[in-house]
Amino acid sequence: MHLEVILHSFGYLAQAAAVTLAISLAGILLGFVIGAGACVARLSRRVWVAALAGVYVSVFRGVPLLVLLLFIYYFLAEFGLDVPALAAAIGGLALSSGAYQTEILRGALNAVPKGQAEAAVALGFTGPEIWRRILLPQALRISIPPLINEFILLLKASSLVSVVGIAELTRVSMNIATMTYRPLEAYVGAALFYLAINLVLAGCGGLAERRLAEGAR
Amino acid sequence: MSLDVLIRYAPSLISGFGVTVMCWGVGGALGIALGFVIALLFRLRIAPLTWALRVFVEVFRGTPFLVQLFLLYAGGPYIGLRLSATAAGVLGLGVYSSAYFAEIFRAGFAAVPVGQIEAAMSVGMTPRDTLLRVTLPGALIAATPPIVNMLVVLSKETVVLSIITVPELMYQMQTMAAETFTAFDSIFAMAAFYWLLVEATSRVGRRVEARVTAFLQEEAKPA
Amino acid sequence: MIEIRGLRKRFGAHEVLRGVDLSIAASEVVCLIGPSGSGKSTLLRCVNFLESYDAGEVRVAGQLIGYEEGPDEIRRPMAARRLRKMRREIGMVFQHFNLWPHMSALNNVAEPLRRVRGLAHAEAYERALAMLTRVGLADKAHAFPSRLSGGQQQRVAIARALAMQPNVMLFDEPTSALDPELVGEVLEVMKSLAAEGMTMLIVTHEMGFAANVAKRIAFIDEGRILDDGPPRRVLHESPEPRVRQFFQTYHDRNSF
Repeated sequence: MHLEVILHSFGYLAQAAAVTLAISLAGILLGFVIGAGACVARLSRRVWVAALAGVYVSVFRGVPLLVLLLFIYYFLAEFGLDVPALAAAIGGLALSSGAYQTEILRGALNAVPKGQAEAAVALGFTGPEIWRRILLPQALRISIPPLINEFILLLKASSLVSVVGIAELTRVSMNIATMTYRPLEAYVGAALFYLAINLVLAGCGGLAERRLAEGAR
Repeated sequence: MSLDVLIRYAPSLISGFGVTVMCWGVGGALGIALGFVIALLFRLRIAPLTWALRVFVEVFRGTPFLVQLFLLYAGGPYIGLRLSATAAGVLGLGVYSSAYFAEIFRAGFAAVPVGQIEAAMSVGMTPRDTLLRVTLPGALIAATPPIVNMLVVLSKETVVLSIITVPELMYQMQTMAAETFTAFDSIFAMAAFYWLLVEATSRVGRRVEARVTAFLQEEAKPA
Repeated sequence: MIEIRGLRKRFGAHEVLRGVDLSIAASEVVCLIGPSGSGKSTLLRCVNFLESYDAGEVRVAGQLIGYEEGPDEIRRPMAARRLRKMRREIGMVFQHFNLWPHMSALNNVAEPLRRVRGLAHAEAYERALAMLTRVGLADKAHAFPSRLSGGQQQRVAIARALAMQPNVMLFDEPTSALDPELVGEVLEVMKSLAAEGMTMLIVTHEMGFAANVAKRIAFIDEGRILDDGPPRRVLHESPEPRVRQFFQTYHDRNSF
């Protein structure tokens, strides 16, 4: 194994890792907006709104990310829109993650003990107040560990955007592999970066879980 | 997309589907078997072994599947492993999923209530009998929902195999799309197909889960 | 049948049993009563060595359990095989039943007979069925625990322990996890066991049962037995103030 390959390309890989992080961050934040919206829609009393959100969740959890990415890329090309690959990548990640985040948020809302809302009603709080002061803060707190987990998953999934040419970690390591004829070193290098990022994220996740568990007592 | 395009490509699409199912089935079976062995090895509590297994699990759960595939397929020859695309795909799926299955089985073992084991101890059952008749069945029952879930996830991961030119469904569809200039239609059809496939598999999976976890329901309500 | 002398046990810094002496003769039914945290469950679990102990002796049918016979200071853990052999003769019924959920009631009872007593299939099933009949559940032989009520599950658990034909049976709060309506059916079975002469050590909160069925009540608090004698005396006229106080609050809450 020619370890110096990893050393020499460290700069490129580090840059690419930053791109990976940035794309994933954009994806999860946009996904949160979409997911929160879909979650609210799911709870709507208008049946067709709830059903539509349900279909969104089902479709975007069922279609593999790779298919989705290519679909967005070609879909937009079909209609003559020359969308930069970056938009397609982030859009795809966001739509896919949004579906999973919808379920995470829904689960978190359900996890808030029912008795709390009941007590609030008994005390005379109005609907929106209950939402704002009791349900939402707690649901958000409960949802942080699974959301961090989702971020970790998204980070790994981001390797697929290499197929639309984004210069993120996987794509860059592919380039290094073809240029240096040392695929082992190139991909091990990429793997090490992914692992490092994941380790940090997992650490944050553990910290968040512990901190938030204390708050619950 | 016209019907005769579909008819012309039907054989290759069906073959692609067959490859997808084969990769998913063999890869999944490999992953479950390997994951189970790893979970058992964890229970031995031999420090250096546990450490090595931990590293294995963390590496394969902490890196993208695509990178693992490239490592295996492109990097393999450099350590004497010359695999065909399909072989690399199946092996890749197997090793990738084994890390997840190992965690699933580990959690399954932990989920067996200690009281059931104490009951076995209190009648004087040997550790071997306790493992075979109490712990193992209990762990497998608890592990069934996550296993079903992981298998569904794995079925979606098979599309990644197309990137290393495994002739599975996605690869065949992309070929068809390129040769007939029907990119949009093809990909749309593919998305719809996978969605239906995953929905169907999920439903079957939930039925299986319900049947198996009925054992875990604690107590019937008094009549 | 059971001889406990000077038993001590600590969990970390906390000493849970502080020198317990207790004797149970053959066919005696002794109820162990005390507040939570008193160490009563721990004491019970030391008898079949589900909990180890740090000092003192626990003897069942004359034999020391958990450790090899030897000078007191040098405690060698008992060989696993001998411990298992001793446990065969001690039956235990748990608060949460601990039936094996993937086996039917019949199989739950037959499994130890096949695996531990080494009985053949047919004989094991025959005995198991007889035991289930004994506890009134022959018609539920093929039901799985998830289909049985708590009271039924506990009776199956009693049948499972009983089928091994133990010399003594230990009960760890057998009715505490049951709906009030279902407690009676389990107590009935336990009463009939006592009537047949089974040696029983029962940790319980069921004062009525203790008053009527037990030969003796041992009151335990903070790891020590404060009183040990006939139910009449311990429940109503104990010389120990702590014991009187405990049962006074109980009488207050429960006379309606």
